Amino acid sequence: MTPQIIEIGSWQLAFSLVFVLLAGAASLVWHLGLGRTLLVGTLRTFAQLALMGYALVFIFRLESAALTLGVFGAMILAALQIVHGRVRERQVTLLWPMFGAMLISYAVVTVVVTGVIVGAKPWWKPQYFIPIAGMIIGNSMSALAISLDRLFADLRSQRDLVEMHLCLGADAREASQDIVRGAIRAGMIPSINAMMGVGIVFLPGMMTGQILSGVNPLAAIRYQIVVMVMLVGSTALSTVAVVLLARHRCFGPGDRLLLRAG
Amino acid sequence: MTTEAPLLTFEAVSFTYPGRTAPVFQDISFEVAAGRFVSVEGSSGCGKSTLLRLACRLEAPDAGVVRFAGRPVEAMPPGLLRRRVSYVQQTPALLADSVRANLRLAFGLRVNKDLTAPDDDRLRQGLAEFQLEKVSLDQPARELSVGQKQRLCLLRAMLLAPRVLLLDEPTAALDRENARRVLEIVTGLNRAQGVTIVMVSHNAADAREATARIRLGGRG
Repeated sequence: MTPQIIEIGSWQLAFSLVFVLLAGAASLVWHLGLGRTLLVGTLRTFAQLALMGYALVFIFRLESAALTLGVFGAMILAALQIVHGRVRERQVTLLWPMFGAMLISYAVVTVVVTGVIVGAKPWWKPQYFIPIAGMIIGNSMSALAISLDRLFADLRSQRDLVEMHLCLGADAREASQDIVRGAIRAGMIPSINAMMGVGIVFLPGMMTGQILSGVNPLAAIRYQIVVMVMLVGSTALSTVAVVLLARHRCFGPGDRLLLRAG
Repeated sequence: MTTEAPLLTFEAVSFTYPGRTAPVFQDISFEVAAGRFVSVEGSSGCGKSTLLRLACRLEAPDAGVVRFAGRPVEAMPPGLLRRRVSYVQQTPALLADSVRANLRLAFGLRVNKDLTAPDDDRLRQGLAEFQLEKVSLDQPARELSVGQKQRLCLLRAMLLAPRVLLLDEPTAALDRENARRVLEIVTGLNRAQGVTIVMVSHNAADAREATARIRLGGRG
């Protein structure tokens, strides 16, 4: 089967805005106050994706390892900013150790997928490396925010229980092991749940995109299976690494719990 | 003045909570000899609980030295220090598990591997000594009354045979009868077993049992 794609023309793209108008009308009728946000969101979608499209054309054409890895680094930095902003922890500074943990765990999974499983040559071929890294970073970014939020909240709300363990002789690891376990589980569950529902409840974006581009669904599902398992792996790796680092930062010398209420 | 070697020493200790500028207290110095029952007194917010937390390294001083048996507490492995200088929190903290699991909790920790976990007979004997004879080892610990929970926490701390018990208002949340029981147990531990007690309490009756007092100047 020769892949045949029906291209979306400018008028058709403009017509798709009717859905935004529908949402805007709902906001007006129901006084949701979402009009401005909707407008900004739509403009950003058009601008950001257009920019990304041109950037990708440029990067794919150039085929430079340095540029590809630079984009990878920039994507992680952006994710780091988003996670850091969402967690809003003021008593524990985590930015650069978190960057290190994210860089290592994402790099390991992305290189294994592109170089070993997909077999791209070279392993950093931008056409494969960038979209795969994007999926990995985008998905585990949410997992990290959930896990860190849970870790800090539980260490605060269960401070008495943690200190009770410490008072009986526990070290920081022993005193917080149930909380750490809960935080890691909370981050990993969405990607495991996604594996349960895939193909039954929803068709994932990547697979849908490939099918719409004319790729044989049987070839598309192979990619999608790789994507699903790589997301579970990368989420697990990055969540474990970042949560353990965060836990380490929450305790001071002498295994003192540094997080305080408020 | 006592001739016994001090077990717990505070030398010019100052403490400020992180993010605050005003210290909770400054230049506090005192000694607690082995076997004493010391009551820590002072107005609310003057740092009585903080004093206990400094003694077991749950807090670190801005300046000064806290010593246990002559050694700075910072120089001791925290787990070993806390086994000898045991802090019992104001609000009883218990696992959502049985009384047995709570009492044996410390014996599963790395630092206490050299200790033998008490068997059920020893635990039942302990429960009786702490006026908890009606409590079953299989009972969920969180279902006990506040007074029973407080005594269970005391027993759990005592199973590690600490030399110093730091008690943070152990009778604050208790009715008169339960408060009397806790105080009776604490006094017994001090007199019969020679355990050094440092206790924060707002209750005048508790303070009467003490053989020495530390008075902190409050900020109100």
